[in-house]
Amino acid sequence: MLKIKNLKAGIEEIQILKGINLEVNAGEIHAIMGPNGSGKSTLSSVIAGKEDYEVKEGSIDFEGEDLLDLSPEERAHKGVFLSFQYPVEIPGISVSNFIKTSVNETRKAKGLGAITAGELLKIMREKMELLNIKKGYLSRSMNDGFSGGEKKRNEIFQLAMLNPKLAILDETDSGLDIDALRIVANGVNQLKNNNNATIIITHYQRLLDYIAPDFVHVLYDGRIVKSGGKELAHELEEKGYDWITKEVDKK
Amino acid sequence: MNLIEKIISYSDKKSISSAKKEELTLFLAEGFPTTKNEEWKYTSLKKIINEEYSIEAIGKSLSDMEISKHSLGISDKLVFLDGVLVSKPSIKNITISDYSEFKGSSLDPLSRLNYSLAKSGYTISIDDNSIIENPIEILFLNTVEGNFKQYRNILNVGKNSEVKFIEKIQNANCNTSFVNCFTQINCEKNAALEYNKIQNNTSKSRLIDRVDICQKEDSICNINTLIFGGDFVRNNLNFEQNGTNAESNMNGISVLNNSQLADNHTFVDHKSAHCRSNEMYKGIYLDKSKGVFNGKIMVRKDSQKIDAFQSNNNLLLSNDSTIDSKPQLEIYADDVKCSHGCTIGQLDEDALFYMRSRGIKELEAKAFLTYAFSSEVIENISLPELQKFAKHLLAKKLNVSLDFEL
Repeated sequence: MLKIKNLKAGIEEIQILKGINLEVNAGEIHAIMGPNGSGKSTLSSVIAGKEDYEVKEGSIDFEGEDLLDLSPEERAHKGVFLSFQYPVEIPGISVSNFIKTSVNETRKAKGLGAITAGELLKIMREKMELLNIKKGYLSRSMNDGFSGGEKKRNEIFQLAMLNPKLAILDETDSGLDIDALRIVANGVNQLKNNNNATIIITHYQRLLDYIAPDFVHVLYDGRIVKSGGKELAHELEEKGYDWITKEVDKK
Repeated sequence: MNLIEKIISYSDKKSISSAKKEELTLFLAEGFPTTKNEEWKYTSLKKIINEEYSIEAIGKSLSDMEISKHSLGISDKLVFLDGVLVSKPSIKNITISDYSEFKGSSLDPLSRLNYSLAKSGYTISIDDNSIIENPIEILFLNTVEGNFKQYRNILNVGKNSEVKFIEKIQNANCNTSFVNCFTQINCEKNAALEYNKIQNNTSKSRLIDRVDICQKEDSICNINTLIFGGDFVRNNLNFEQNGTNAESNMNGISVLNNSQLADNHTFVDHKSAHCRSNEMYKGIYLDKSKGVFNGKIMVRKDSQKIDAFQSNNNLLLSNDSTIDSKPQLEIYADDVKCSHGCTIGQLDEDALFYMRSRGIKELEAKAFLTYAFSSEVIENISLPELQKFAKHLLAKKLNVSLDFEL
């Protein structure tokens, strides 16, 4: 589904990603872990198409197409979804209005007609129940005055509504208390199937107790320096990142 | 012939009272205000008064269907065709008639011209203790290309009465026009008025509109001004609070493109204690459009416990658009709360990326954020049909097919 080859990217003169290689297939869950400043959020922003980053080399192939040629909205239409580490507050636009527009614009790009308000509300209620979201939430302004946990839950709510092929969860666990974490993880697990894939970007192993990854990668200094199964996450939790970074720095 | 010469030759053929003649002479001596006049510093009339107009010409009549194209679908409506009142609703406790004479106070050059030569307009009186359930629409339609037209209106809202209006000055089947309109509104004790102005006229229409509102105690008056169309719009909105516990609210939104100009001049004269005023004007400027805002608030010496709030927020969406914004506070009482704020900005890049990453195309995302910026003003409109219309106009102006509803 996703093939990243020798991806080098940065902001202006500063190179952040120094040659990333990653392959994600349908049905898989990948976790990307790493210390602060290793380039985790840059990687997710580059995949989603944030224009602040300049790609110097490499390619991101998504189902046979190079994502780097596409605008952020076209990537979304192809089925790429980024759950933001810091969701943006948009006063004056209600959650329901935002989601309606997002769903309909995505449908339009696929040549489908607009969904009726009644139908949309029905699906929204279903997904709200899944994520334990209270009534009244739909008419609030997008992320405006939301707590950290509410913002993250709102990201997963959008994920549920848009049903993408590839979901990238950027530090979705940060700012969540243990109950919210369980609800969000449960939501992600329920949305999982053999046709979609998930990349979990996280600093801690905490979220991985609830969402079991098939692969764990360690990102350090702009490169994936180690890959393994879910046992690698446990090892990192026990021993920290030091043993890996020392190993790499020695080379 | 330029407009002044046309006005002279037009007035020579009319027999007018000596009082009017006096004011006309004053106007002609002074001429149209220039940018040397402090009140017109940022808005030049030069180009538009040098064009060729016909004065108070009357054109063809319009079919009901053509008229209804300009209506919001409100059932109670007054329709003026080239200044002639062609239909009016009959509503219990309201008296509606044609133009009637009144002078008004503190005349400026344009209101002198209006007072001396206008002969069309409405006279509306709402009886005391009358709640008018349905909104009333007022359509001033012009059918003559290049017509210069003056309206002079007077509205009295009786004690404890409530009423809502939607007013529209519109060209029908023509593009160029120049309208000079003056409206006097009197709100009696505990009256509640909402007056909505839709200024969405054709691309070569010019409008100078002055409204003087005199409010007695406990009255509430809301004026909403929606500017979407027209080549040139100048609004002068003057509130005079003559009684305690009066409240004056102003909401304005301007969405301009091409080389449109919209100038909102407001003045609130707090002449009594324990009164409030709330003013929120938002402007969205594309292409080479230009906005002007001048908000004057005067708190007189004995007007204690005044709560006055003013804000003017602007979004410049192109490199060539401009806004001149000027708050003007004169406060002579010591126990008052007055605040004002002005912002000028662009769309938030992070919010744009966020929306695009959710599949919303760039143009639509920009339109959506622009709607978010203006939504506070639009939500303040109490009539749902007008709210919907404003959202529709906004989408149209921003070239997207979003309805901003739900």
